[in-house]
Amino acid sequence: MQNLLGGLLMIAIAVIAVVQGSALSIGSLRHIGPGMVPMTLAAFLGLIGVVLILSWWRGRERVGTGRWPLRGPVFILGAAVVFGLTVRPLGLSVAGPLLVVIAAFASAETRWKEIIIFSVCMMLFCLGLFRYALTLPIPVAPWLIGY
Amino acid sequence: MDALIANLSHGFSVAVSLSNLGLCFVGVVIGTLVGILPGVGPIATIAMLLPLTFNFDPTGALIMLAGIYYGAQYGGSTTAILINIPGEATSVVTVLDGHQMARQGRAGVALGTAALVSFFAGTVSTIVVAALGVPLTKLALLFGPAEYFSLMVMGLSFAVVLAQGSLLKAAAMILLGILLSTIGTDIETGEERLTFGFAELADGIDFVVLAMGFFGFAEILHNLENPETRDVVKGKIGRLLPNLQDIRMSIAPMLRGTGLGALLGILPGNGAVLGPFASYATEKKLSRTPERFGKGAIEGVAGPEAANNAGAQTAFIPLLTLGIPPNAVMALMVGAMTIHGIIPGPQVMTKSPDLFWGMIASMWIGNAFLLIINLPLIGIWVRLLHVPYRLMFSAILLFCSIGIYSINNDPSDVLLTALFGLIGYVFIKLGFEPAPALLGFVLGKLMEEKLRQALIISRGDFMTFVDNPVSAVLLLISVVVIILAVVPAIRKTKEEALSMS
Amino acid sequence: MFAKFLKTALLGIAALGIGAVQAQNYPTRPITVIVPFAAGGPTDVIARIVSEHMGKVLGQQLIVENVVGAGGTTGITKAFGATPDGYTIMMGHMGTHGAAPALYKNLKYKPASDFEPIGMAAGTPILVVARKDFPAKDLKEFVAYIKANGDKLNEGQAGVGSVSFSTCIMFNVLAGAKPTRVPYTGTGPVINDMMAGKIDYACDQIVSVASQIQGGSIKAYAIATEARSPALPDIPTTAEAGLPEFKVSAWNALFAPKGTPQDVVAKLNAALSTALNDPATKKRLEDLGGVVPKEGAERTSKWLGDFVAAEVKKWGEIIQAGGVVAQ
Repeated sequence: MQNLLGGLLMIAIAVIAVVQGSALSIGSLRHIGPGMVPMTLAAFLGLIGVVLILSWWRGRERVGTGRWPLRGPVFILGAAVVFGLTVRPLGLSVAGPLLVVIAAFASAETRWKEIIIFSVCMMLFCLGLFRYALTLPIPVAPWLIGY
Repeated sequence: MDALIANLSHGFSVAVSLSNLGLCFVGVVIGTLVGILPGVGPIATIAMLLPLTFNFDPTGALIMLAGIYYGAQYGGSTTAILINIPGEATSVVTVLDGHQMARQGRAGVALGTAALVSFFAGTVSTIVVAALGVPLTKLALLFGPAEYFSLMVMGLSFAVVLAQGSLLKAAAMILLGILLSTIGTDIETGEERLTFGFAELADGIDFVVLAMGFFGFAEILHNLENPETRDVVKGKIGRLLPNLQDIRMSIAPMLRGTGLGALLGILPGNGAVLGPFASYATEKKLSRTPERFGKGAIEGVAGPEAANNAGAQTAFIPLLTLGIPPNAVMALMVGAMTIHGIIPGPQVMTKSPDLFWGMIASMWIGNAFLLIINLPLIGIWVRLLHVPYRLMFSAILLFCSIGIYSINNDPSDVLLTALFGLIGYVFIKLGFEPAPALLGFVLGKLMEEKLRQALIISRGDFMTFVDNPVSAVLLLISVVVIILAVVPAIRKTKEEALSMS
Repeated sequence: MFAKFLKTALLGIAALGIGAVQAQNYPTRPITVIVPFAAGGPTDVIARIVSEHMGKVLGQQLIVENVVGAGGTTGITKAFGATPDGYTIMMGHMGTHGAAPALYKNLKYKPASDFEPIGMAAGTPILVVARKDFPAKDLKEFVAYIKANGDKLNEGQAGVGSVSFSTCIMFNVLAGAKPTRVPYTGTGPVINDMMAGKIDYACDQIVSVASQIQGGSIKAYAIATEARSPALPDIPTTAEAGLPEFKVSAWNALFAPKGTPQDVVAKLNAALSTALNDPATKKRLEDLGGVVPKEGAERTSKWLGDFVAAEVKKWGEIIQAGGVVAQ
């Protein structure tokens, strides 16, 4: 299964790259255009995809693909996405705890009281470290203090 | 020789002044700190601290900024070993065996080895910079676009050796890495390539975004699903420092790694990133037990870490003697020097000997500081692994997200990292390894650029890569490396086929 | 809980509104200066030197934020969309506020009308440099040689939108040369390949080439300024060397988003001028070859506004003459 899905994925990536890059000029060897390298790479990727599918077809591979639980990806990546969307408008003071709390949904071991206290402590620690010690221009609380 | 000793002792007399010692110490401490924080790199830090250095004299300012740079290399290894996140291109290789060692309860040994070999490599390469800096500049000038292209090809051939599973899948990941590196604005026409219409992608994908996605986020997902693997880390503490046998196994890789790293670091155009990869490939090839690599082989930490640190020091050679920054951090050092009225280039050595030799001497002092700071810290780091994972993963996620945001102060980078986290997660499930993709990504951009330059300069003649000796030798090495890796794999497949039928 | 949060948020917004109105108190918090190029480059260095002293004058820190990409237009586009309250300003540049409209067809801003010009900070001179064994002894011979040899010669440039890209189009148009243009990312590798003899010539800012010229690893034919540079007193100006039309500077100036209150702009302009008069700041700028605008007309916001309009027109014509199509 690994090889079938992997092969299909590679072919899909190759097709996406070719479609996206269809407008780019290939150029000539004397003057390589913007499209030549991406298109060549896509062609090879597609080829590898075909070979992977063939090797699955010939049935030499018995490796399964394991479990695909959704809980982890949804909440971990979701937490990062929410952080990305809120850090500018709301600042680290809100986006930080939000990330920790959303990410906590990903784990079955979460203790809620602990995680809420932890989220606030981490936010304060990060503010001190990134904003004040390293003076990175990360928004703190634009809605309250303007930056 | 006498001149060298005189110059170095002059350098030391500058570097050991109380204020310069203090600045060096502050620099390496900050460097270690930002190196450990995933995502926050030396570039953002040096940029932020530049205004502070206005009030220092230029030598002190540059000693401190240089300290941040090589201090971050030390710190980066810590993160790579402890939580499997390569903060920089040069620590991708450290992740492979370093983190496996940590999982086996040998985090302390891995960290200790990294610190000791880094100190050794730092000492040797400081002497290299002082003694051979000027003659070695000629080597940098030997490398035109054609030679660079061939060097990158050689680097990619190492990636095949890096692979632990299927060679075909490794090849796919290398190609994918190069493909990802072509995203962004075309260098010649200014057209946007493969950006899906997103303005945020016009400047390409940042290395940290890809590395955090493929390693950091994907690793968290993996650990949440497989509590048993992370419990191994929690179970044992193990020794905190390498024992005699560890040291004996590390010596030869360390020497070779130092040599490779120092040599590649001199090349302008970020040759230093190749050092750890070259060292890893060499050690795996030379080893009588290559199957241990990727499963916690100490040689796979010692060699690349030495190469990494040696390269970080010798990367100062093109900056100090040619005035050409080989990477983004060095470009920032150029800025730091110009702010202080020193225009980097061949004139620095004669016009400002205090600065030139003082900075070189400070590098050795800084490396000594780093060893003194880092060895006692190992105990603390190892204990950090015992923070319950239910709290640890959200803290890692928060640090990563803040770090990614601060690369360009751009929230869309965080979203992009999440996307790569998802892709990396799927890849791992399907048996694709992320490390070759990162190598392809790092080398891909430069490879395409140099290919195009070389062909424009040769007016389309491919013989330019073979006609010139340096390039021809590099290509030959790549071919040999690939044959050595592929032939046994094919033989193995045939044997399996025979035994099955 | 939520009501309380909302109340605090509203109070915060109200406080912001009051802050914007009370310009006489400006500034009450740190000011962000968006620099559209990478930290360490010439524009960044100039921005940092100037904002350091401006911060002292205004009593609030000026924080440089580098937003890079697309020849500097990414950062300017971001600053263009910022709240016009004087707390976000930007360091514009010959590329972003001159050549950009002719190079990028999807540019979101109009350099001449979408900003409140604050004032000129400093320009850096452009030099015509060549590999050290180039067979021409002065600029006149050089121009004749590159004209005669056409695309046999390799000119190195640092990518679309870079200073070396645009200024060398201007030089090639004026000299009547059509070299093979080799694209690089950044000027460092261009100079490296020039030292190795693989690139024949380039146009670049004095900061990037001065040390190599002094060290003799490359040579310079002329400097495209009014007067010779104290850093390289032996290099003739283009006027002295016979190509007076090639006069160009990689200028850097401060702008605020459109709608920033006039008294805030005036405060910033005064702070900039004070900074440029400060001997230490001025020396720092001049050490790196920078040319600081003279006191008087050239320091005013009005002058900068007119200058930008003229630059946009000038670069539009040059880039068209150079046959470059906007992307």
